[in-house]
Amino acid sequence: MTPSLKKGVAYALACSAIAGIGLAATNPYHLQVMTFIGINSLLALGLNLLMGYAGQISLGHAAFYGIGAYTTAILTATYGLSPWLSLPMAVAAAALVAFLVGMPTLKLSGYYLGMGTLGFGMIAFIVFREWDGVTGGASGFVGIPPLAVGPLNLSSGRNYFYLVWGVLLVAILVCRRIIDSRTGRALRAIHDSENAARAVGVGTMHLKLQVFVFSAAVAALAGFLYAHYVSFISPGTFDFLMSVRMVTMVVIGGMASIWGAILGASLLTLLPEWLHAFSDLEMVVYGLIMMGVMIVMPQGLTRGILDLYERARERHER
Amino acid sequence: MKDKPALLKLASVSKAFGGVQALDDISFEFDAGLIMGLIGPNGAGKTTLFNVITGAYVPDSGAVSLDGIPIQGRRIQDIVHLGISRTFQNVELFESMSVIENIMVGRHVRTRSGFWSAITRVPAIRREEKALRERAQELLDFVGLADQADRRSGDLPFGWQRLLEIARALASDPKLLLLDEPAAGLNAVETGRLGELIGNIRDLGVTVMLVEHDMALTMSVCDQIIVLDQGCMLAEGLPREIQSNAAVMAAYLGNG
Ligand SMILES: Nc1ncnc2c1ncn2[C@@H]1O[C@H](COP(=O)(O)OP(=O)(O)OP(=O)(O)O)[C@@H](O)[C@H]1O
Ligand SMILES: [Mg+2]
Repeated sequence: MTPSLKKGVAYALACSAIAGIGLAATNPYHLQVMTFIGINSLLALGLNLLMGYAGQISLGHAAFYGIGAYTTAILTATYGLSPWLSLPMAVAAAALVAFLVGMPTLKLSGYYLGMGTLGFGMIAFIVFREWDGVTGGASGFVGIPPLAVGPLNLSSGRNYFYLVWGVLLVAILVCRRIIDSRTGRALRAIHDSENAARAVGVGTMHLKLQVFVFSAAVAALAGFLYAHYVSFISPGTFDFLMSVRMVTMVVIGGMASIWGAILGASLLTLLPEWLHAFSDLEMVVYGLIMMGVMIVMPQGLTRGILDLYERARERHER
Repeated sequence: MKDKPALLKLASVSKAFGGVQALDDISFEFDAGLIMGLIGPNGAGKTTLFNVITGAYVPDSGAVSLDGIPIQGRRIQDIVHLGISRTFQNVELFESMSVIENIMVGRHVRTRSGFWSAITRVPAIRREEKALRERAQELLDFVGLADQADRRSGDLPFGWQRLLEIARALASDPKLLLLDEPAAGLNAVETGRLGELIGNIRDLGVTVMLVEHDMALTMSVCDQIIVLDQGCMLAEGLPREIQSNAAVMAAYLGNG
């Protein structure tokens, strides 16, 4: 099988798996968890393009998630705009902010870029929390309307699950195409050697800014989906810990791997659900599992599982 | 008076790092079609000169022009577009990427596809991608790595990495190719083949500027040689003139 055929088959399998899961799942709780996995996967996917492929860290990406959520909340609930009109505005708002923030910060690299984006994330969080009149402040924003297409109400568990995963599949396709293009190669080149990339004529600053804006737009899209799903948002969802969680999803799943983003998002969404039983020790067990994964599979889950599979097959053949 | 400007012309170029005068009032020019040698003891300023020509450093004073067009202070990507490309003294490949992808990135300034066209994949972009891949494969054939296209470039033996870096530099269709110590780390057989390759590159119509410590190679392939020492131009001439130049010998014996 050629690599592109393999990718096509994997994609078709993923589509049918999602369709199947959607039909089979009857428990509303299960559908809800899987919807959150979809939203988190979208977040990880966008950030992975920036981190895994272009090699630029952002510790403030929850801000863009929040900008997407708050923009649509304000436009639809406060000003009565249709969500389908607020969607492009929410995405554009995050993209614009990313452009303005990225211009100065992306000149930094490594730890300094991390600190720069961290600072931005904190400022955004404070704005969400303190701008009472507009965002509802610390007590949150209530009454975000559900999504509907004509007579079809998307707020039911199954419909929203399909919506989120449909959006995710399209986003995967888009990311795949970007990675396999001239732009994607240039991004990976920046990751390997920014100096050499510049020397062959890649406009590294421009390209880093583009991918930063793109990943912010994807995060805002996830924020839009989140806000209209839960109908109530509060600043705590978009704080520093969320930014860290997003980075963790990318690293745990496997950098520079599209399916890894989904694996990482699944693990980070499911773990807290499973670990409720540990009550007080929940965070400790959570931390231990994270450490364990990174020690056993330093390249992330995707690479780790592939290696296990290869080893098992070799043993089988012997 | 000549009717055509020199391919590359430097006029009183100087560059200092703190107290170190890495380049001190350098002036020279040469025409297209040559293999130009650039030699000098360690720390003479050879790599710095390359960095100034390619736009990685802006000179403190002086002017650099390519085909009569001033290039000092321009962006690197514009200079690559005008026709200058380079290799590095310490090979700098895109190691996680495949051999052919390295060359495809090398052609970045001659291709156009951007963010949006990558997503929409319009026919023009598919055609560009196909032509790009074919051109990259031609360059692999040219440097003798035809059957390594899909290998991870970081896994190639060192000698092949040097060849790949040259192929990547050729991918932007340069008028002037700057090679920074391409024979460093190669064995005698590989060095011999490199000499042939440099000749073939010149025969393609690409002017080559070669920094090299391997004197046998330099003397045999170069048409003209410039000697730098502690940032100053010490001599310029034919290989045999340089070999019999007393000041050059003193610089090498004194510092080497
Ligand atoms: N980025 C830099 N910052 C500070 N000093 C520098 C820098 N680049 C070069 N130098 C100094 O400029 C001088 C010339 O260095 P350069 O690398 O150009 O020498 P070279 O002729 O290429 O030597 P070699 O044969 O060892 O490669 C040296 O004294 C070096 O230490
Ligand atoms: Mg040098």
